[in-house]
Amino acid sequence: MTDPYVILGVSPSATDDEIREAYRKMSLKFHPDRHSQSTLSDLAEEKMKEINAAFDRIMDMRRGGGEQKYSYTSSQYYSGDNSVFSEIRSQIKQGNLTDAENILDQPTTQRNAEWSFLKGSVCYARGWLNEAFENFSNAVRLDPQNAEYNAALNSMINARQGNMNGNPNPYRGRDTVCGCSACDLCQGLVCADCCCECSGGDLISCC
Amino acid sequence: MFGYIRPFKSQLKFCEYDIYKAVYCGLCKEIGKSYSVILRFTLSYDFAFLGLLGFSLSDSEISIKPQPCIAHPLKKTPCIACGGLNYSASAAVISVYHKLKDDTIDSGFFRNFFSYVMLGFIKRSYNKAAKAFPVLTSAAEKYMAVQRENEKENTKSIDKAAEPTSQIMSEIAAELSEDENTKRILSRIGYLLGRYVYITDALDDVKKDYKNKQYNPLLLQDGCENLNIEKIRELAKDSIYFTLGELANAYTLLNIKKFKPILDNIIYLGLGNTFNLVLNERELLK
Repeated sequence: MTDPYVILGVSPSATDDEIREAYRKMSLKFHPDRHSQSTLSDLAEEKMKEINAAFDRIMDMRRGGGEQKYSYTSSQYYSGDNSVFSEIRSQIKQGNLTDAENILDQPTTQRNAEWSFLKGSVCYARGWLNEAFENFSNAVRLDPQNAEYNAALNSMINARQGNMNGNPNPYRGRDTVCGCSACDLCQGLVCADCCCECSGGDLISCC
Repeated sequence: MFGYIRPFKSQLKFCEYDIYKAVYCGLCKEIGKSYSVILRFTLSYDFAFLGLLGFSLSDSEISIKPQPCIAHPLKKTPCIACGGLNYSASAAVISVYHKLKDDTIDSGFFRNFFSYVMLGFIKRSYNKAAKAFPVLTSAAEKYMAVQRENEKENTKSIDKAAEPTSQIMSEIAAELSEDENTKRILSRIGYLLGRYVYITDALDDVKKDYKNKQYNPLLLQDGCENLNIEKIRELAKDSIYFTLGELANAYTLLNIKKFKPILDNIIYLGLGNTFNLVLNERELLK
């Protein structure tokens, strides 16, 4: 098995807190809520397991047979009993998007919140994100309390605000990439000038 | 293909920029060597990214050597000198060919004429690349046909309109690895990059397409028919940010062995920055 420290990306000399922090960051990155709608959700789950195992191993080693086990379990939302919809879910899980869509589009299939949600899931897995968003919004409108639909919709709303998973510099690189525009510069200068004048000096002589 | 996949240069370290540039120059050289000199002038940033991604997934060491450059005859520039760029070069040739072919169908007389002449020049190179990568070639042909179909039918859905470009990029990216799981991740990344490129390009061309009454899915959305630019921008921005969000999800799953800071720069900063330049109609720097 690979070195658990390498998996978590920390040095073996890191403190327990640093390791916990690294673990927290990594598990946010691969959290099932982020990947549940993707075609790659199984790979994310595997990564999650790997990180959990690495974290538990490090903690075991450090405590000499540790007592405390952390692990994130994948969030299981689904508790429906409609057999058509569970059939569609299993088709999506196996990647048979065309089959899933065929069942969804049959006129006999009930068009409720879950229908919209699953339609959105198929679109999302295809990469048809605009239509996925519309369907998820629809699902939440029809059933505002449902945690599963809300999780899917919220993760897209999050993306729409420009948040990207794993971004090492989350506050840079969006609208003002350089951090400081020409406007900010002038404003700064005027401010500095006011301060100087208060204390009897002058920075910009013309104003 | 279009050159929208590029790093955000001022946030790169010098050493990172040197490597990026060496890949770009190495790719240019490879195109000249394996295909034709004229094709070297069609190279775009997108394929430099592809080359870089290919290197970043492999275990082998790379070597960089100064070599004479066609654009700056008097000084040598650092180039990748260890092979490994043949695939990216071929993919570049195949997409340039199809882009030109597409241009012969729906542009003005002069552009049309130019495209025909260019196509004649590069036909042999294309045949060579097509022979080396038949799967990619047939995929490109198939999806270009779908694209023409979409244009003919005036497809309203942005998702559907972006599909052919996305699928081609997905096929191109997937070939970078042999490993089954990595292939799946690359195919997803490729798809979303293709979607990003298509929508950014559609926004870039929206005024031109409105004037020339050409197909552009952004002009077909509700309330956008009369070139309502604010609404169009908002729509494009939402679509792009959805795409980048999911792209980042797929990207985190990739096992990157080297050059991670450069790839991070392109994925997290470069794409958004390039899109914002297009959004605010600022000139893209060469």
